[in-house]
Amino acid sequence: MVPLISITIFLPLLAAALLVLPLPISTRTAHLIGLTVSGLTFLGTIAIWLQGSGPAGSFGQIEEVAWIPSLGVAYRVGVDGFSLPLVLLTTSLFVVSMIYSLRITERARSYIALFLFLETSCLGVFVALDLVLFYVFFELTLVGMYFIIAGWGYEKRQQAALTFFIYTLLGSLPLLLAILALYLGSNPRTFDVRALIAAPPLTGLAATLTLIALLVAFAVKTPLFPFHTWLPAAHVEAPTAGSVILAGVMLKLGTYGLLRIGLQMLPEAFRELAPFIAGLAVFSALYGALAALGQTDLKRMIAYTSVNHMGYVVLGIAAAAATTNRATLALALDGATLQMVSHGIVTGSLFLLVGMLQDRAHTRQINDFGGLLKTTPMLGWFFILAAFASLGLPALAHFPAEFQIFLGAFGVWPIAAALTVLGIVITAGLYLRAIQAVCLGEANQRWASLPDLNSRELFAVVPLLLLVVLVGILPGWLLDVIHRTTERLGG
Amino acid sequence: MGRDLALLLPEISLLIGAVLALCAEMLHRPRWAMLLSLIGLVVAFGWSLTLLGQQTSVFMGTYRIDTLGVWAKLILLPLVALVIILVMPEVQGSDREGTVYSLLAFTTLGPVVLASAGDVMFLVLGVLLSSLGTFALVAYPRTDRATEAGMKYFVYGSVTEAVMIFGLTFWFGATGSTLLSDLPKLQNAPLLAAAGFIAVLIGLGYKAAIVPFHFWSPDAYDGAPVAIAAFLSIAPKIGAIFALAQVGRDLSVEAINWPLILAVLAAVSMTYGNLAALAQTNLIRLLAYSSIAQAGYFLLGNVAMGKSGLAMQALVVFAAAYAAMNLGAFAVVARVGRELEAFNGLGRTAPWTGGAMVIFLLSLVGVPPLAGFAGKILLFGAALDAGYTWLAVTAILNSVLSLAVYLRIIVPMYQSPQPQSQPIPARSQGLKLVAYMMVWTVAFFVTVGLGLFVQMIVGQVK
Repeated sequence: MVPLISITIFLPLLAAALLVLPLPISTRTAHLIGLTVSGLTFLGTIAIWLQGSGPAGSFGQIEEVAWIPSLGVAYRVGVDGFSLPLVLLTTSLFVVSMIYSLRITERARSYIALFLFLETSCLGVFVALDLVLFYVFFELTLVGMYFIIAGWGYEKRQQAALTFFIYTLLGSLPLLLAILALYLGSNPRTFDVRALIAAPPLTGLAATLTLIALLVAFAVKTPLFPFHTWLPAAHVEAPTAGSVILAGVMLKLGTYGLLRIGLQMLPEAFRELAPFIAGLAVFSALYGALAALGQTDLKRMIAYTSVNHMGYVVLGIAAAAATTNRATLALALDGATLQMVSHGIVTGSLFLLVGMLQDRAHTRQINDFGGLLKTTPMLGWFFILAAFASLGLPALAHFPAEFQIFLGAFGVWPIAAALTVLGIVITAGLYLRAIQAVCLGEANQRWASLPDLNSRELFAVVPLLLLVVLVGILPGWLLDVIHRTTERLGG
Repeated sequence: MGRDLALLLPEISLLIGAVLALCAEMLHRPRWAMLLSLIGLVVAFGWSLTLLGQQTSVFMGTYRIDTLGVWAKLILLPLVALVIILVMPEVQGSDREGTVYSLLAFTTLGPVVLASAGDVMFLVLGVLLSSLGTFALVAYPRTDRATEAGMKYFVYGSVTEAVMIFGLTFWFGATGSTLLSDLPKLQNAPLLAAAGFIAVLIGLGYKAAIVPFHFWSPDAYDGAPVAIAAFLSIAPKIGAIFALAQVGRDLSVEAINWPLILAVLAAVSMTYGNLAALAQTNLIRLLAYSSIAQAGYFLLGNVAMGKSGLAMQALVVFAAAYAAMNLGAFAVVARVGRELEAFNGLGRTAPWTGGAMVIFLLSLVGVPPLAGFAGKILLFGAALDAGYTWLAVTAILNSVLSLAVYLRIIVPMYQSPQPQSQPIPARSQGLKLVAYMMVWTVAFFVTVGLGLFVQMIVGQVK
């Protein structure tokens, strides 16, 4: 059998290695390599998707090679209903980023090499079935993103990159501690994710402390209040494609880890702490929405709505942990997983569109714009579509996800769910305000000569928006895969 | 007797190589001296390979041929060979060039003896062996700075070594023997055990540059040639830490809670080292403080000795990782320059040098999958396993702190080069360039590869 997953995740890394070798590669060829390789990787994940997640309730397409047998560490990869949608999301967003990045001419080879390196690390986190491997990839994403922000970001990039690196490393080291605790608690000692899920190794105080370490780690990454302060700076200063990957893929590393390691390996401790986690999630969602409301910079605004949307994901996971009803559990987790995908494609499109706007106007201040529908109709309408999707309009991607999360959470904590719905109202308000200020009204003469989207930009953003609509109207193809895993959990 | 000598073939070959190198120097043939020292090291390495897996001792239990002893040789011998290659561009053409090579080979015996010590007399001998040669090596450039550095190192060393010998007499008096394997007899004499242990700690702590015995190290490193500083920051440290582990194997915890003492020193060392490194602008001094911090991580393995099965593996893997990444970082400094400003824009003007430096520094932080990560995960795991959770947490917080230290070098490397920044000095051409490249390449591949192939070490260390 062909080791499809390994080939797919390491293909970008190989191409990245090729790009840094001292070969005569022109900027054009480098872009061609970037596009082709990210495209092939995308096709690879389609093939993985078609092969499916294996037997219901466990992992499929497992590939395993011994690494450090004395310590129970091995190279193990595989997919299930949680990781498959995220893998597909990752490769689609990377293709889109590569298309958008065709405009980059400054040190394009290093830029593309870093993105491909980042793609391998992100995919690796989702498919890793070994905690050491998971940690390795988790940390490598930091290194890749640090250099992308520091090298190609906007004015205050050095500072933002530094904050990002130190903050998230501070977060990921408790993860190492938690992983070691899980390892030392297991018998026989192993880092194998499957074994640790099948027989959760820790109980009592040790489990609670481990979960707290995990929470710190993943709350930084997700991000949850009060660990979110790195996010606006990093998003605002990152180059557009970097923001897309940061928001679209890298925030999911946190929630995915919470799901995979927190919920699945420490179920009892998670159940105990669930009310606190849910409280944090609700507060974070409301805080994110309110903070977004206060922004005048479009990119910062979208960055804060990420805090809001990711709060819903955590609420869904917490509700799944607290409930004893298997149907509610599946409902909440289906919603949480789908929300990760929806947030990836919706926020990805929003960041792309704002990036395109900034490329033209060299400003992101909401009040600088006006009447974009008249000057650049395509850009305007696409922005409106993406904004509607982000505020949770039915028939667009966030709706089925948030609906299931609220339904699941309502069965467990009605008040928390009701409070969170307030978040949707605030987001709706802020997006309508932004649409009104940017797209509607009298055309600002300053922007009269702005060109509308060109073919490169259309190729980047249209597929994503189609996906937003598709997931909104027909989420079934995603939910079926997710549900095959979630229906076997609990009980 | 024949068996004992056969087991000592690595040490004997090393010594013969050093002596022959000295003879070559007397004949004014520095190149031969270098070659002979290298041959001695390579032959010794070959013999050491045949000893893998041995768990025995020679000369009535005074000298151990065990995991620590053999791995110390396997790590230190190639390291010193690379240091000899690295020092060549710096001392080439100076009078008495050959003595440097010969002294380096000779001095290597010190850490090797320390790591294999089964007797307190070998502890003393090891400390002295590794000190005497290095005093001369530090002062070799004969500049004021080098002389001052050598003097500080010497005075500090003489005092700590005298204290160590004095303290060891308590152990001898209490047990009636100098063998480490007789230390369990101290079980009912906590005061005597403490007096001896603290003395040992002072002597070995000085060699390993652990706080509060570290004061000499930044000055000594800064005065010495860069390659000698690299040697000083690695070889004696590994020797001293392994020697502490040899003591820890036999000293009972009932007599004195030595793991706790070591744990406190470890925490202080890493915190102080990282904080002090934050303020440095001279890279050699920065790396000196960073190596104080790394010694703190290293001690986690000693703390867990006897309580966690991971401790031995952690010590060996981290020693190998530390040797590779630290040597690599020093080698880059040797080529680029001692001041932080010299690194401005290096990532753009010299992408390979810059890239290698990034790898070495990230490995020092412990970013996976590099060698430093493999070492640290084992060390942290060992500390947790031994019940020292607070120490593991301190170490992890320190890793974050250390990131700030190393990013101070990495960040300017990828900023646009300043107009006043110098290109890499043109003096490194031809053979010198080959020397630098060789050291980097080896250090680079070990740093990158050790994480992936750590099973090769872990599988051997039981």
